[in-house]
Amino acid sequence: MFPRPIQTASRPARAAYQAFLPAALLLWLAPLIAVAIFSIKPDADFATGNYWSWPSSFEGFTNYGKVFLESDMPRYLLNSVMITAPTVIGAVALSSMTGFALGIYKFRSNHWIFFMFVAGNFVPFQILMVPVRDLTLELGLYNTKTGLVLFHIAFQTGFCTLFMRNFIRALPFPLIEAARVEGVAEWRIFIHVVLPLMKPAIAALSVLIFTFIWNDYFWAVVLTQGVESQPVTAGITSFNAQFRAAYHLMSAGSIVAALPPVAIFFLMQRHFIAGLTLGAVK
Amino acid sequence: MRSILKAALFAAAATAALTTASAAAGLSGNLKIFLDTSNPAPRATMEKMIADFQKLHPDLDIETTVIDREEYKTQIRNFLTANPPDVNTWYAANRMRPYVEAGLFEDVSDLWRERDIARNLVSTKGAMTIDGKQWGVPYTYYQWGVYYRKDIYEELGLDEPETFEEFKANCRAILDSGRACVTIGTKFLWTAGGWFDYLNMRTNGFDFHMDLAAGEVAWTDPRVRRTFMNWKDLIDMGAFIDNHQTYSWQEALPFMVNGDAVHYLMGNFAVAPLRDAGLTDDQLDFYQFPVINPNVELAEDAPTDTFHIPAKAANKEAAREFLRFVVSADVQTEINNGANLGQLPVNAKSSVDNDKFLNKGFRMLSSNSPGGVAQFWDRDAPAEMAKVSMEGFQEFMVKPGDLDRILRKLERARGRIYK
Repeated sequence: MFPRPIQTASRPARAAYQAFLPAALLLWLAPLIAVAIFSIKPDADFATGNYWSWPSSFEGFTNYGKVFLESDMPRYLLNSVMITAPTVIGAVALSSMTGFALGIYKFRSNHWIFFMFVAGNFVPFQILMVPVRDLTLELGLYNTKTGLVLFHIAFQTGFCTLFMRNFIRALPFPLIEAARVEGVAEWRIFIHVVLPLMKPAIAALSVLIFTFIWNDYFWAVVLTQGVESQPVTAGITSFNAQFRAAYHLMSAGSIVAALPPVAIFFLMQRHFIAGLTLGAVK
Repeated sequence: MRSILKAALFAAAATAALTTASAAAGLSGNLKIFLDTSNPAPRATMEKMIADFQKLHPDLDIETTVIDREEYKTQIRNFLTANPPDVNTWYAANRMRPYVEAGLFEDVSDLWRERDIARNLVSTKGAMTIDGKQWGVPYTYYQWGVYYRKDIYEELGLDEPETFEEFKANCRAILDSGRACVTIGTKFLWTAGGWFDYLNMRTNGFDFHMDLAAGEVAWTDPRVRRTFMNWKDLIDMGAFIDNHQTYSWQEALPFMVNGDAVHYLMGNFAVAPLRDAGLTDDQLDFYQFPVINPNVELAEDAPTDTFHIPAKAANKEAAREFLRFVVSADVQTEINNGANLGQLPVNAKSSVDNDKFLNKGFRMLSSNSPGGVAQFWDRDAPAEMAKVSMEGFQEFMVKPGDLDRILRKLERARGRIYK
């Protein structure tokens, strides 16, 4: 199996591994560590050029207090939840159904429809920026959470369908045939036979989509523009005044904004990894 | 006879009082206001001001829309033509020219003829005038100038320079003491635009500067070259900090704070972070950019934010009343104070916070800028030209020997951009 466990490597290789791993880790995490340190520094440290050394005073409570009590951050966090939750539910619900249809039924254009879902994933989403913005504007959905949710559902369904269809394909087909012999209606088969078997896929996909959508910045900036509708990723920039960037508050805000996906990852680590590898090995 | 006259006068006064009262109280209908003040503090200031206006006119149905400041710049053409509000924010001078020429802004010269406005808004009238008419009113502006470390000046026995020669002499003394003369961060280009504004306005005057911004003068003109030669004097002596092209304007502040550099040519918004960093008013001071060519009048950069009435607005009567309200002395004092915008009021009758820098800037702009008030290079020149030229300024600051090539490049860009 590749990669081989490190315990089986030669002694010098293991020593080198142990020496380089912490260094690589530190290098890898440096930007994150910097943001964490910035978030407890006073504003003045950025004007005196004290970027990397010890904070001149500990302002962690002040900065985080400002983020939660004196800014629109709670509102942005709520927006994020109100955008992410419906998207996850919508995309997973739709793709369970499309996955079921494409995975179970044999009809003539099955493959073509499936390819269309897959092909959607190959469209670089940036080229959709102008048309999608115009579309939401014409539909009156510009600068609304609904517009963002609808777009995310539409765009995520392609990937989710690929994922679900492959998962359903791998289920034992005789189960469905047995149900059909018993005379169970097709939608009942979906709800009572297939859905319970799909639980691991649904869990994995939900976690994955949650992190995708929560971390989305591009569409948040393109389709929304105010505290009424913007999610937290875009809201962080509101700490900037017209002329000045408030690095300390932006850092504190970023840490707060990053916590939910990190928490979800650690709580649902098993599903997350399952989600990344599901369908990779059949 | 006398009693008749008295009665007539009384009647006239009564009617006048009545009409004013009815004009003030009679505003009704909708007033749609579009704002680009999307940053939290200015947004709160504007919302408070509009709420105060609402209290004066309870029958008016005011609807305020705040649009992201950058987004607004692309949306304005759209909403002015398609679905105009009654009042909208924008910028003065050349930045409003396209909309004035397209007939999208209402001529508000009548407001500027009213006594209060005519008397008290003189300093910004030029910036609001195109073709002899005024197209909006300003609501805030701020000064530019030389911020410097007074304590280091005292340590080295230097005086505030009046002329460019004295400024260069100061620079030499500062360089000899092992410090840089000027801090600047040109990563985002515009800071170099500030230097070009002042050097060109002081060398060739405000009108020449505006002609250059309007594309009417060649970049290869010997007068433009003279501006760059003055700039080159500073570059060649090493006046600017090293590697300035890698810093943002904020990242260039530490040099000033730590005493590694002594001057910063900047807008007044630099004062707040410098104070936060621990500089006291004894250490930090301000002066007007020194004279280079004594034959041209002093002119200053003072970017001005404005209110306009779209030509297709529905409720122009209420919109005009709102504009009057915005520029009135008390409102100007209130919205520009330190707790709100922290900038300069445009009304000469307003009072300025007890702040050294605001007071100096207010005096400088209302009495010592006879040449005119420029809006800053990236507002005075068309966007495309501003970008190309500011890239050229930055390149020049790094490779002053390439001046000819850079000027030729800018001249080619002028041929392409102004048509």
